[in-house]
Amino acid sequence: MRPHLKMLERSLIERILDETFTVLESTGILIDSPAGFERLRELGLPGDDATRRVTFPRSTVERAIADAPSAFTLFDRSGEPFTELAGDRVHFVPASSALRILDRSSGEPRDATSADFVEYARVADRLAHIAYLSTAFIPKDVPSDIADGWRLYLALATSEKPVVSGAFTSHGVPRMAEMMSLFRRDREDLAARPNSIFTCCPSTPLRWAEDAIQNLLDCAGWGIPIEVVPVLLLGMISPATTVGALVLHSAEVLSGLTIAQLVRPGTPVLFGGAPASFHMQLMTNPMTAVEALQVYCGYAAIAKHLGLPCQAYMGLSDSKLNDPQAGAESGMGMLLAALAGFNSVSGPGMLDYVNCFSLEKLVFDDELAAHALRFTRPVEVKDDLPTRPLLDELLRENHLLTAEHTLERWPEELYLPGPMIDRTNWEQWDLQGRPDSTARAGELIETALEDYDVPPLDPALDAEIRRLFSSTCNEPGVELPALVERR
Amino acid sequence: MPDYALMNQRVFEGDRESVAEMTRAALEAGRPPLEVLEDGLIAAMRVVGEDFKYNRIFVPEVLLAARAMKAGMAVLQPLLTSSEGDSSAGTIVLGTVKGDLHDIGKNLVGMMAEGAGFQIVDLGTNTSAEEFIAAVREHRADILGMSALLTTTMVYMKTVVDEMRAAGLEHVRICVGGAPISQAYADEIGAHGYAADAGSAVQLFKRLVAPSAPPA
Ligand code: B1M
Repeated sequence: MRPHLKMLERSLIERILDETFTVLESTGILIDSPAGFERLRELGLPGDDATRRVTFPRSTVERAIADAPSAFTLFDRSGEPFTELAGDRVHFVPASSALRILDRSSGEPRDATSADFVEYARVADRLAHIAYLSTAFIPKDVPSDIADGWRLYLALATSEKPVVSGAFTSHGVPRMAEMMSLFRRDREDLAARPNSIFTCCPSTPLRWAEDAIQNLLDCAGWGIPIEVVPVLLLGMISPATTVGALVLHSAEVLSGLTIAQLVRPGTPVLFGGAPASFHMQLMTNPMTAVEALQVYCGYAAIAKHLGLPCQAYMGLSDSKLNDPQAGAESGMGMLLAALAGFNSVSGPGMLDYVNCFSLEKLVFDDELAAHALRFTRPVEVKDDLPTRPLLDELLRENHLLTAEHTLERWPEELYLPGPMIDRTNWEQWDLQGRPDSTARAGELIETALEDYDVPPLDPALDAEIRRLFSSTCNEPGVELPALVERR
Repeated sequence: MPDYALMNQRVFEGDRESVAEMTRAALEAGRPPLEVLEDGLIAAMRVVGEDFKYNRIFVPEVLLAARAMKAGMAVLQPLLTSSEGDSSAGTIVLGTVKGDLHDIGKNLVGMMAEGAGFQIVDLGTNTSAEEFIAAVREHRADILGMSALLTTTMVYMKTVVDEMRAAGLEHVRICVGGAPISQAYADEIGAHGYAADAGSAVQLFKRLVAPSAPPA
C-alpha cells in the first residue's frame, strides 16, 4: 500500500461538497468583466445583470466534473510524452512568479534579469527530483508588458521539460499560446500535446476578476491545461476554520473547472490552490502556516474523491533566508504534499511569501523532494516475510552486510542522499573543511551548470519567437536580451 | 460630566450601540460635540493604536473599535461645524494601480487608516491616472495612496506621479506600498512616502498631514 494521508471522512467530504454545490447554485460567482459575464451567459450559465453574478446549477457542475479528465499527459518541447498527472503520482516543481531572486553572492534579494532566468532553467533542468519547470520569477530587463511570455520563452529555449506558467494581463494568454503552438503542427496539436500548465486565479471570495476570467476562457479555448488556484486568507477573506475554508475553496475551483469544461469539454483542470493563513498581528499571508497545510491536504482529499488531478503551493517557505525555518517549512510541506498525493506541487525554490526565489533553496528542495517521494513508496513484502530465516542469518553472522538479501535489496532500499543532507560524522565533516549548506548548494549549482547539455532551439524558430515579442510589445523594435547565463 | 473613561472602554470593546448611545447622552447633557469627539472617541482610538503597535491587541479588535468609533461619529457629524467636521485626520484617495487586481493589502491600509480617523475614498483596483486625479480633485484629497503587487504594474505608479504633477496637484502627498515596492522605488519615482505595512502606512499618513510636515 502507498502511504497516504487520510484527513477527511467520506461523509464529511460529501457534506462539504453538498454545501459547495449550494454556494455555487445560490450565491454564485461575481464575474468582474462585462465581456466575461456575457460569454458565460452564452455558455448557458444563469446570470443576474444587476449583480453580474453567475450561478452554477448542480447538474452543470456535475457534468463538468465528469467531462474533466481525471488524468492527463504533459509533453516535452518536441512533443514527446513526458509525464502523466494521474492518481497519486507526485511531481515537485519550482514555485512560480517571484518578484525577486536571492542573489547567490550577496545573499540579498534583488531584481532578476533574463540571464538569471537562463541560469535557473539550466539548473532546474538537471535536478533529478524536480519533475518539470515553472516560470519561477520575472526578468526585469524586458518591457513589462511582455515579461510573462518572455520568461516562458526563456524556459522553453533552455529546457525541453514542460513548464508551469501563466499570464499577467487579460491579453497575455493568446500571445503565449501562439508561441507554444510554434512548437507544434498547429493549435489543435498543441491542445492534444500540451507542454505547459497555466495558473488561473479566482479572487477570493467568489469572484473572477477581469484579467483572470479572460485568462481562464482563453486557456480553455486553446485547450491549455489549467490549475485553478484560489488564495484564501484564513480569518480574513475566508472562514478561519478548515471546513468552511474547504467549502469556499472548492466552490471557487469548481467554478473555474465548470467554465473551462463549458468552453471546451475535456480541458485538463487541476484542483489547485494556495490557501494561506492571515497573521492577525503582522497582516501577512503565511502559506506554510500549519492550519493552511490542513486546508491543502483537505482539498486534496476532495479532489481525489471527485477523481480530479490536484495541485498545491507547498514546499515553499516564508523565511527570508535559507535558514532552519526554510528547511523545516519546506520539508514539512513537501512530505505532506507527497502523502496527500498532489500531482503537481509548486514550492521548491521559493522563500518570503512567494516573493523571492533562491537557486540554493531549489537544489536543497530537490533533495527534500527525493525524501518525500521515497517516503510514499508502497510498503510491500520483499522476501522478508517470514523474517526468521533472515534473523537466523543475522544471529549466526552478527551482521547482514553480506547477506544475499541485503546485497540484492539495499541499493534500492537504503537511500544515499546527495550533498545537501550532511551524513558525515563530525571528524569527516571537519576534514572536508566544514562545508555549510550554502557552500554545498553552490557546488551543486556549478555542477548542474557544467552538466547542462540541452540542444538549443532551432535558430529559425528562435528568431520567429523573438520577432513575435519585439513586434508586439509596448516598445516595438526594442532589443531583447540574448540567451546567456549569468557567470 | 459624561463618563468618558467608560465610553473609551466601550469603543475599545467595539460596542457600537453603547458608543452611539453614550455619544447621544453626552450631547443631551450639553457637552460640546468637539469635546465628545476628542475625549470620548479619539482618545480611545489612540489607545487602540498604541495597543496594536505593541502587540497587545490584534487586527480584528482594531477594526471593531474603529467601527464603534464610526457609530459615535455618525451621531456627532451633523453637529460639527464644517471646519470641526474636517477634524477628520484627512482625506485619502486610495486605489490599486492600472492592470493590477490585488486589493487585500490596499483594503487593510484603508480600514486601518479609517480607524485612525482618515476619510477614505477607495477607487478599488485597476485604477488609471485619470481616475486617481479626478477623485483627488473631487474629494480635495490630502493624500493619494497607491498600491501595486506586480512587478509589471508597479511602473504605472510613476505615470500617476508624473500626471499628478502635470495636473498641478503637487500639494497632494503621494504614498505607495505593496510587496514589490520599496523606499528606494518610492524615492525614484518621486512619491512622498512608502510604507511596508498597514500599521506603518497609518503612521506615515499622520506624519504627512501633520501641520509641521514639510511642504511637498
Ligand atoms: C498607499 O500606501 C500603501 C502603503 C502600504 C501598502 C499599500 C499601499 N499596499 C499594500 N501595502 C502594505 O500594507 C499591506 C498590509 O500590511 C501589505 O499588503 P500586501 O498585499 O503585501 O499583503 C496582504 C495583506 C497579503 N498579501 C496579499 O494579498 C498578496 C498575496 C499574494 C500571494 C497574491 C494574491 C493573494 C493574489 N494574486 Co497574485 N498574489 C501575489 C502575492 C504574493 C505576496 N505574498 O505578496 C503575487 C503578487 N501575485 C502574483 C501573480 C503572478 C498573480 N497574482 C494574481 C492573482 C492573485 C489572486 C487573485 C489569487 C490574489 C489577489 C486577491 C486580491 N483580492 O487581492 C494574478 C494577477 C492578476 C492581476 N492582473 O493583478 C497573477 C498574475 C497570477 C495569475 N497567473 O493569474 C505574483 C507577482 C509576480 C510578479 N513578479 O509581479 C505574486 C508575488 C505571487 C507569485 N509569486 O505568484 C503591504 O504590502
